[in-house]
Amino acid sequence: MLSYFIRRLPTAALTVILTSVVVFLLVGLLPGSPASVILGEQADPAAVAALEERMGLDRPLLWQYTDWARGLITGDLGASYVSGAPIAETLGVAAGATVELALASLVVTAVTGAAFGIAAATVRRRVPQALLRGASALIFGVPEYVLGILLILAFAITVRLLPAGGREPLLADPGIGIQYLAMPAIALGLHSGVVVGRFLETELRGQLEEEYLDTAHAKGVSARRVLWRHALPNALPPVITVLGVRVGHLLGGAVVIEAVFAWPGLGQVLANAVANHDYLIIQDLVVYFVVVFIAVQLVSDLIHASLDPRVRLDGEA
Amino acid sequence: MRTPRALRSPGGAAGAATVLVLVAAGLLAPWLSPYAPDFQQTGAVLRGPSAGHWFGTDDLGRDVLSRLLYGIRQDVIIIVLAVPLSKAIGIAIGLLATTHKAADVLVQRVLDLKLAFPTVILGAALAAFLGPGFSTVLIVIVISGIPVTARLTRTAVLTERERGYVTGARVVGASRTAILVTHILPNAVDALVVNFVMSAAGAVFLEGALSLLGFGIQPPAPSLGGMIEKGLPYLAEQHWGVLAPIAVLTGLVIGLNLLGDALNAALRRG
Repeated sequence: MLSYFIRRLPTAALTVILTSVVVFLLVGLLPGSPASVILGEQADPAAVAALEERMGLDRPLLWQYTDWARGLITGDLGASYVSGAPIAETLGVAAGATVELALASLVVTAVTGAAFGIAAATVRRRVPQALLRGASALIFGVPEYVLGILLILAFAITVRLLPAGGREPLLADPGIGIQYLAMPAIALGLHSGVVVGRFLETELRGQLEEEYLDTAHAKGVSARRVLWRHALPNALPPVITVLGVRVGHLLGGAVVIEAVFAWPGLGQVLANAVANHDYLIIQDLVVYFVVVFIAVQLVSDLIHASLDPRVRLDGEA
Repeated sequence: MRTPRALRSPGGAAGAATVLVLVAAGLLAPWLSPYAPDFQQTGAVLRGPSAGHWFGTDDLGRDVLSRLLYGIRQDVIIIVLAVPLSKAIGIAIGLLATTHKAADVLVQRVLDLKLAFPTVILGAALAAFLGPGFSTVLIVIVISGIPVTARLTRTAVLTERERGYVTGARVVGASRTAILVTHILPNAVDALVVNFVMSAAGAVFLEGALSLLGFGIQPPAPSLGGMIEKGLPYLAEQHWGVLAPIAVLTGLVIGLNLLGDALNAALRRG
């Protein structure tokens, strides 16, 4: 397993380095220097020159890149050229909010995925089966942000049960925090729950048709025990991998959901940075997002392998 | 082509009908709209539904129904421009991967790079450096559709190439290009049609997501996502301004998904 990790590392590192180079070079797309775009068209040329010097734009491109990359690695991200706020601190606070939302929605995904998958694979009567299929098809087709808006309309405006937006850190005050967290977490996690549920259903159906379960039935093991102790553990490994892919999806989706619920996370930082031409923050964030994405993919591969001894990561996994 | 058979399944027929009605409404917007999309009626701000304004008016006193119809038109224009372009580039890249071992490795790495990039993050980066708006939305949709199409094309060509009829064609002296264009590609068309329909659904979804983040098509031009974004702060006062574009956007996405599923099922049955 360690050897697999070591072998994947160069590719992962190369992807991150290539991303950082592309993101670094994106500045070249701007109409004019970043300093002049930040200060606006009517800016005093002397002020533009001063900002350019402060941003290090007068130095060779390679030096600019290595300085920036070193900052990304050490976490010394400097201050925003627009607001003057320390970037590492801004990102740190927002990352806490996004991680809270992503973890909560992952719980929603796991719980609804398990419920949908097990119910769909075991319910035999036609009407409940059809209802399940209809519900999952509907949720699958509705974009997360649409579900979020419908939740706001139902539970914040029509019935004034929950706040329409904002955040209270869950760890600071769980009772209040959960009220802010509930709707965005459900909006974000439910869609992935249906996707995970479909995979679980397929895997579970496959397991339930295996002959070893006929043996279990024959020797008198109860249907419940067959499901929970035999079929489910064997159906899980590939589902875990799908769940890992969904973590990446949840992080991307969080960016949009944060906009709907005014959730003060990284997505909002990103949207504000785009609106305010705060290029440095955008570049930092994009690279960090890609690093997290790749890390999540690696980790879910590893978990899959450790759960399923048949998966050999040294071959074509 | 198994397209007609797919339309006979209830899901496929419902999907096709929904998409057809909505797209027709969008294309006929100039004739169907009761008002110009940017006409502002003074004193009629955030009104609820009435005989004059079926879905009410927005925060600037504009007719929601008229903007909705023009918004569909905008999304249809994006799909028609972006999805074929995305597929064409994807197919070209997929074909490139099948020509040479080295090209294959290079293509796979580049596609990995894209897959490591959440689409919304790509949208943010482009919106930051190109500016938000139509071209950013277009480029994001084009790029987001490339990897799947390229992989699909690559796999299809690699499988078809091993079939007997290709060997036969080679024996009678057909050139590689001729075999590719006249024999292999037509056999990959079905899978690509499914992929095309699914990508169209993805494009509608993305236009909305990018708009919500402020990266989308900029006002005063109406788009479905733009209407949702601008209406959201007034959700409590005039929810029709948001519900109408949401319903159409969701209808388009679900309709296209249903159609894609039905095509896929018809394809598998052969």
